[in-house]
Amino acid sequence: MSAAVQLVGLDFGTTTMSAVVAEGRLARNAVTGRTDLDSLEECYRSEMLFTPIVDDKIDEAAVARQLDRWLELGGVRAERIFGGGALLTGLTAQRDNAALLVTLIRARLGNALIATADDPCLESWLAFMGSCAELSRTLPDRCVLNLDIGGGTTNLALGQAGEVLRTGCYFVGARHVQLKPGSYHIVRLSRYARALFDHLGIRKDVAATLTDGEVAGIITYYFDLLTAALGGDRRILAEPTARLHEQVAFRTLTPSSSPRGRGEKFAITLSGGVGELVYAHLDGKPWPATTAFGDLGIDLARRFVTSPFVDDLRRYRPASAGRATVYGLLRHSTEISGSTLYLPNPEMLPLADMPIVGTITLMSSDADVSEWIALAGRCERGACLRVNVGSHDAAAVRALGMRIAAALATRSFPSARALVLLVSENVGKVLGQYVTRWGALAVKLMVIDEVPPRNAQYARIGVPRQQVVPVSYYGLNE
Amino acid sequence: MIALTPLEQIPVPAPKPERTYSIQCFERTITFAGLKRLLGAADYSKAGDRNAGLAVDGETEREAARAILSDLTLEHLYDHPLADDQGNVDTVMRVNYAIDPSAFGAIATMTLGELKDHLLRSPGAEVARLGRGLTGVMAAAVAKLCDVHELIYIARKILRPSKARTQLGLPGTLSSRLQPNHPADDLRGIALLCYWGLSMGAGDALMGLNPAIDTVENVSACLQHLDKLRRSSGAPTQICVLSHVKTQLACLERGVPVEILFQSLAGTDRTNVSEFDISVDLLDRAYRSMAEKGPLRDIAKQFMYFETGQGSEFTYGKHNGIDMTTTEALCYGLARRYDPFMVNNVTGFIGPETHLDSFEMVLANLQDHFMGKLLGVPMGMAPCYTLHSHITLEGQQMATELLTAAGANYYMDVGLNTDRMLAYFDTSAHDDQTLREIHHKLPAPEYLDWGFSRGIFARDGNGTVTRGPTWGDPRQFGSSDAEFRDLLAATPALYGFESAGPRPANRVSRAVKMNQGVGREAIRAELRVEDLQKITPMRVIRTEANTKEAHLNSPALGARLSAESKRMLTPETLAVQILISDGLSAEAVHYNMKDLLPVLLDGLAGRRIGVGKPLLAPYGRVKLAEPVAEALDAELIVYLIGERPGGDALASRSLSAYFVYQLKNAEVRRQAVQASGNAAIRFEYTVISNIYSGGLPPAEAGAVIVEKVGDILTHQAAGNRLEAMLKKSGSAATPE
Repeated sequence: MSAAVQLVGLDFGTTTMSAVVAEGRLARNAVTGRTDLDSLEECYRSEMLFTPIVDDKIDEAAVARQLDRWLELGGVRAERIFGGGALLTGLTAQRDNAALLVTLIRARLGNALIATADDPCLESWLAFMGSCAELSRTLPDRCVLNLDIGGGTTNLALGQAGEVLRTGCYFVGARHVQLKPGSYHIVRLSRYARALFDHLGIRKDVAATLTDGEVAGIITYYFDLLTAALGGDRRILAEPTARLHEQVAFRTLTPSSSPRGRGEKFAITLSGGVGELVYAHLDGKPWPATTAFGDLGIDLARRFVTSPFVDDLRRYRPASAGRATVYGLLRHSTEISGSTLYLPNPEMLPLADMPIVGTITLMSSDADVSEWIALAGRCERGACLRVNVGSHDAAAVRALGMRIAAALATRSFPSARALVLLVSENVGKVLGQYVTRWGALAVKLMVIDEVPPRNAQYARIGVPRQQVVPVSYYGLNE
Repeated sequence: MIALTPLEQIPVPAPKPERTYSIQCFERTITFAGLKRLLGAADYSKAGDRNAGLAVDGETEREAARAILSDLTLEHLYDHPLADDQGNVDTVMRVNYAIDPSAFGAIATMTLGELKDHLLRSPGAEVARLGRGLTGVMAAAVAKLCDVHELIYIARKILRPSKARTQLGLPGTLSSRLQPNHPADDLRGIALLCYWGLSMGAGDALMGLNPAIDTVENVSACLQHLDKLRRSSGAPTQICVLSHVKTQLACLERGVPVEILFQSLAGTDRTNVSEFDISVDLLDRAYRSMAEKGPLRDIAKQFMYFETGQGSEFTYGKHNGIDMTTTEALCYGLARRYDPFMVNNVTGFIGPETHLDSFEMVLANLQDHFMGKLLGVPMGMAPCYTLHSHITLEGQQMATELLTAAGANYYMDVGLNTDRMLAYFDTSAHDDQTLREIHHKLPAPEYLDWGFSRGIFARDGNGTVTRGPTWGDPRQFGSSDAEFRDLLAATPALYGFESAGPRPANRVSRAVKMNQGVGREAIRAELRVEDLQKITPMRVIRTEANTKEAHLNSPALGARLSAESKRMLTPETLAVQILISDGLSAEAVHYNMKDLLPVLLDGLAGRRIGVGKPLLAPYGRVKLAEPVAEALDAELIVYLIGERPGGDALASRSLSAYFVYQLKNAEVRRQAVQASGNAAIRFEYTVISNIYSGGLPPAEAGAVIVEKVGDILTHQAAGNRLEAMLKKSGSAATPE
């Protein structure tokens, strides 16, 4: 038996915004025994549009009109959405009214998907998953490092065998310096560009024209900054202008911290608008005309194809480079739980913006368990706790469940608040039963099992379909 | 379209009182009471006939029966139709009498012995012609007189070709039915198994799926998927989803491509009507619908597909006292009415209660092929086995070598012999190609041309057809590596695509055989009662099966309590009792109980549900729960029992939890009767299966079981009635 569901990805970047809608079926995989998404087919893909910015603010009315059009063309209905997400990225996320745009999306789609802004590690993760997760799985012995270079930020993600290991984010992008198309005549400068101009000694502002040498200086700085980040060269990155450009430091892998301990050279891939330009050129397409998009994207792309990275760029091709984030949102932002959950109050779902306040393991002391429970109880609508049992052993589950039950009883967890335990093993129902003393404890508990323990600040738990629930993480810590 | 003779226009002599048949054998007079007994005694001894009390012990008695049979004329068999248990000629027997009168007239006065000699002496066309003048009983009687050489020699003279998009059964050909079964009808897994089979030159007879879910929606989706795969690959073949005939007719009405119509047949009306839910009337309607509306009606000469196999009538207890070979021949007599495109035989599928070992299976297959060909149907073969029998892969391979010599039209292609849905072992595309090469056979001509065009087949310098450069590479049909990985991820029991010649590479074969070995050991293992008692004290009870062999070979014994245990168990005022048994895998009990049982007992105690001291019953079958529930006067038995292992070693540790709810309350029983339509219903069943570390982990299963117990006791219902109630109340159903 299977059920049809809808997935939606909405990406509002510094330069462009786009939407993708897909439909699939939730079906049981006979190999893993898990329910997963089958027959996923894209049913709508929008054109790439420039993100409407007026006076350094997002043009809310224009975005709202476009959003409504996409939802109509994609046949999106909130009650059918199982997962996906809407993400404001790059400089768009830093606009003053970014939060209003999030509200605007939520007003249309409710809590059916995550809608968030300024979540750089999530962006990096999504760009990796959306562009080169598949490639990475074909190179299980090699780390893949993806640079998602957009208009405002470059999101770095290092992964192996399809799993992201490290992320980082830098304010390096095509659109910090906006130009009149066909020229280097400056139209607008971001605050990061102004700082960079000061650092490079470029004494120019809006309405001036950059010389070839100045353009080369800017591009070289960006390239060197990213190269330093990839190599973990903190000497360069410690310099004040570089520090300003560093939103989340990328901690590269050393040979000893590599999962396989070999520390081979990474396979470099690109995504985002700049990545798309690079791969188009490598496929033999001519470069667009000078500053055709009114920014430095083409110049950045040119720099990469003359760099030592070009061998990798020719050899390793990610999928959907230009739409990596939106595809990541669509296909990878939602985890599917196991099918035997402890869910006595399914009417409480969906739960959005649930803070994840800690992790309980078999090694946690009773005092720690008690503190986590107390902290969860203090959150206004309740909270999530990660639980790491580490096995399916009945005695271990029983012992841990009884300890959590004792903490709940002594801490008098507020009965109106939800406590969500997120556990990676298939022990949802049994853990829930021991935690509630087989239903005797009055607590609004749900145990969602078989979801990966992601290092995130928030989770969204959707409504059950086919005995599973969708779980999305955001506010990724690394 | 052939004209179907109305049943009332088929002349059949009235049944006569049973007579005895005697023969003097040295100093002994050996007597058989009736024709059914005589036919049973004349056959090779097989488990099903032994269990039915029809086989004889010694060679002397068997040969005595054969001697008597040899001297009976065909007219005698014609005049003595085998009656059902009510003394009537059933419709299956009646259809068998729709014979060619001129062919029968020419041989009516021959004895069966003379007929056998005549068949051995005659050219193939004459044998084929005479076969149209025989009933199933006559063909079965001749088969019982034949040795292995004779079963092969006569059968190989008979051509029974058929034609849809491809032509099957032409001289020098050996075809195959691609059988891409998947435990959940996952279209990705089905696609991968089709790609793999096609890449090895399999599927020229059919791409035919046995569905896991027999609904119009699912069968339609599977048919449309197979149609897409057939079109995209360009393979000249035909498709079929082997659901119930009624489901397929509903699909046909919707315009879904039902190219070939399938139905399982049995050799007695009682089995067909009450177990298979079919009748001759229904089959007649189905045939006419296909002739009028079937998508291949303009190009196919035949479009019906039947599956049969020795022993189904016996296992349902509806064999009318007739032996397995004869009831099987009656199936072919019924199939012949519809001039089928394919008939295949799956003798060996049921288990040791019908065919104990390779010898019994091989002989039965040779008999079946002989009888089918003689009676006029295009026989394909599927010599197969389950792990709880003593039939082995090697026995199966011997059967295929002999059956290929006998001229079987086709075999199955089940990837690496392992059926991922039905948990049994059939022939594979590797086997089909190996047999083609050993016996100088080719696929159907239309398919061979396609195989050349794809590089699956090629010709060497001598013009001999060989495997081509793309043989065995399933990736040639996919669109990308990513798609291929997706298909792989959805397909169980894949051990590698590497081949060595036409065979799987040794590494692959070793993995397949190791998994089977572990499965067989799990079945043969004895319950470790003392170890289990350490988890929690249990009461050990006994069934009527005293040994493992008796338990495996006679399912009925394990469903009954021993006299001593019956005395021991007395009514208790407890709602729930826990019963544990090895079933078909003691290892499943050993591996799961340590984590499952403590959770289950904790949960029942936590919910304040009264439960007795658990019962442990070595050699138990599922139905054992009923006498236990009655003896203890329990409302509900939670029965934890080992599942029948398939081809996956880990899954041979898989346990099922049966919830057997006794309908003690009169009002509840009334509701159950109403819901089920079964006036005699006394129990309702719910089952949660796949409990093992690779499926539902045992600790989690313990909690799931407690929840289900609560549901059953609260709603006073189990099975479909409970699920309907839960659906109505909006509760999430537990996966089963």
